[in-house]
Amino acid sequence: MKKVLVLIISILVLTSLAGCAKSANTPQESATTQDKSLVIATAADLGTIDPAVAMDNSAWKISYPAYERLVNFKGSSTEVEPGLAKSWSISPDGLTWTFILEENHKFADGTSLDAAAVKYSFDRLMTIKKGPSDAFPSLESVTVVDPQTVVFKLKTVFPAFLSTLATNGGGIVNPAVMKEEKDGDLGQNWLANHTAGSGPYVLSEWIPEQSLKLTVNPNYSGDKPKLASINVKIIKDPSSQRMALEKGDVDIAENIPVDQLKELKSNQDLIVFNTPSLMVDYVYLNTQKPGLDNPKVRQAISYAVDYQGIISSVWQGNATQMRGPVPQGLWGYQSDLFQYTKNLEKAKSLLQEAGVKDLTLNFMYSDNKAWWEQEAQIIQNNLSEIGIKVNLQKIAYAAQREKIDAGDFDLTLGVWSPDYADPYMFMNYWFDSDNFGLAGNRAFYKNDQVDQLVRKAASVNDQAQRTDLYKQAQELIMQDAPYVFLVQKNYQLPMRKSVQGFVFNPMLQDMYNFEMMNK
Amino acid sequence: MAQFRYLRYFTKRYPLTVTGAVIIFLVVMVSLAAPLVSPHNPYTLNLTDRLKPPGSIYLLGTDELGRDILSRIIYGARLSLLAGVGIVGIAGLFGIVIGSVSGLLGGKVDQAVMRLMDIMLAFPSLVLALALSAALGPNFRNSILAIAIVKIPVYVRLVRGQALSIKERQFVKAAQTFGAPKVWIISRHIIPNCLSPVVVQATLGIGEAILIAATLSFIGLGAQPPAAEWGAMVSMGRIYLLDQWWYASFPGIAIFITVIGFNLFGDGVRDMLDPRFHN
Repeated sequence: MKKVLVLIISILVLTSLAGCAKSANTPQESATTQDKSLVIATAADLGTIDPAVAMDNSAWKISYPAYERLVNFKGSSTEVEPGLAKSWSISPDGLTWTFILEENHKFADGTSLDAAAVKYSFDRLMTIKKGPSDAFPSLESVTVVDPQTVVFKLKTVFPAFLSTLATNGGGIVNPAVMKEEKDGDLGQNWLANHTAGSGPYVLSEWIPEQSLKLTVNPNYSGDKPKLASINVKIIKDPSSQRMALEKGDVDIAENIPVDQLKELKSNQDLIVFNTPSLMVDYVYLNTQKPGLDNPKVRQAISYAVDYQGIISSVWQGNATQMRGPVPQGLWGYQSDLFQYTKNLEKAKSLLQEAGVKDLTLNFMYSDNKAWWEQEAQIIQNNLSEIGIKVNLQKIAYAAQREKIDAGDFDLTLGVWSPDYADPYMFMNYWFDSDNFGLAGNRAFYKNDQVDQLVRKAASVNDQAQRTDLYKQAQELIMQDAPYVFLVQKNYQLPMRKSVQGFVFNPMLQDMYNFEMMNK
Repeated sequence: MAQFRYLRYFTKRYPLTVTGAVIIFLVVMVSLAAPLVSPHNPYTLNLTDRLKPPGSIYLLGTDELGRDILSRIIYGARLSLLAGVGIVGIAGLFGIVIGSVSGLLGGKVDQAVMRLMDIMLAFPSLVLALALSAALGPNFRNSILAIAIVKIPVYVRLVRGQALSIKERQFVKAAQTFGAPKVWIISRHIIPNCLSPVVVQATLGIGEAILIAATLSFIGLGAQPPAAEWGAMVSMGRIYLLDQWWYASFPGIAIFITVIGFNLFGDGVRDMLDPRFHN
């Protein structure tokens, strides 16, 4: 027995000693690395950062500053401004776009960026044909006129075209990556963990599961960035992230739960950046599954959820209930659209009308977002109040994505933020029955009328007409309730006070304007 | 009166064993009477009272969904006891049967069984339990099953060792001479005679079993939300440890006390049953 006690005590002493040793060392470390390096803590390592493949904002955080695009999002607005292209013109039928490139842009290896590189990048994107190419549904061809002039031809009018050029997938890749091509992969394997662009930074180091490092591109044509390097550290545990931020080991911590942000505000050295975003959080109801294929059951579920409870508890008030699919702040948002509120009587009578009894549903979620577990448990509880039994099923994020793609779920949670400023990002992705699965229609929802309306809206340029078409579609959708529209969340990011120049653009969720930042 | 004197003597002689027994008794009582003694429903959400510190309404505070932590710990005792007893029960049962058969038969069967057990023992038990539990699908029942499977070799080796020596004893030889079937010998002679070390091993094993079950829940491979399971509570509470210390601490203390209780009691039982420790 004594042995056990001695063991326990010695373990306690050792761990506390280890803690002291750690905290004693770190100030010295940070003192020696004062060469303007920004340190960011993030929870998970990244997947591929190839602009033609990556569909994940956290990967775009690395690739976006490594590449340049024809146009850029202007500051924090949803408008675009010239980027690589200094000017452009559109043919009267709206199908031919001519871009004049600025001179003097060079890739990180010193070769100059010309029209051929633009053509190469878009040909590569459309050949690889993965997620990012979905932003260019009507692109027919790209042709080089002269080294500074490039022409894009569209099959049909696509009103969001200019805006889509500013997405991560529109990044111009150095054609020299073909040297790294293996088995005809167009360099996908190599670009998955390298960069080959003309942006302000290049990826110079990536230690899997530990850290990534961006350093300044010596051939960048713009003003020299003030931050010599960006370090992205992978710190899984939110508490460790918070301690690192408070000690000053990191400048920005991405994954501190909303609950703790309140406490952080009392720390003089920290600020919590807080602004409305276009990111929404919603529940997919698999409309192909028995029970859920009945719109009345889906309406009942939408009526059972305690929206205000979720906002006040999980979000601490830093979110608003969604009104339909399009978030507030993007055109196409309908301020007078029907909105579900918690109404148990209504929900129960709808279930009765539907003739559904003893419904049991699986609710799948992952730990990708810290708040999902809370939301899942609240919704489980809400649905039990109208007699629907919900089994929670927590799985890995990768497995969740696979199952969503295959339609192998009843209920699951997701987040969505637009990559370009057009309600197309919501209406056509979420509701067009051609986009089943990860592509965007994750409720596997099919309504021929809605299909027609959103497709029509995507093929005309007149914004007033499009707004009207999307409005009609939204009204039908609210009746069909294929998703539970939970909340539009605020973007909150705790950082050291010394960090300057961060601009949040709702199109570039979880990404940074490193080249303008300083500390 | 005589019984009372014996109890006092016993308490003086084995104070730690009695402490362990008292802890186990309390945990068992609390888990049996959970609906009577818990002040709130452990599953009722109360979103306005989330993350409240310990106070007069919520003695040990509330979690992130406003559920009473004390009530959840009380209900959690049921799951943890079930896990502990279930794991040891399943592992012990299979261990006794496999071990005694293997010991009595000897030869190639014995060789094969024991090499298999050696392979299983060569894996770190937590890692094997983790892999099994992930393969079976993460839920509470499967996690118990996974841990039980991992623990079987411990009992097989123990029982087989006993069986090897028992089968050479005179009464077994006699039974064999009279043509008693093997099933008879195993059930009437070998198993009854090797029970006491198994009992010792089992009482010592319950504490460890509870701990491993909590560990699996902690990493998300055991009980799934909203189950009031101690390991799962510590896991969720860890996120809030810096501001809401009570959330992870109290379930952690509950695990600690229960495991200590079983370990103290197990040590005592071993001392009493093992003749080498008598003086």
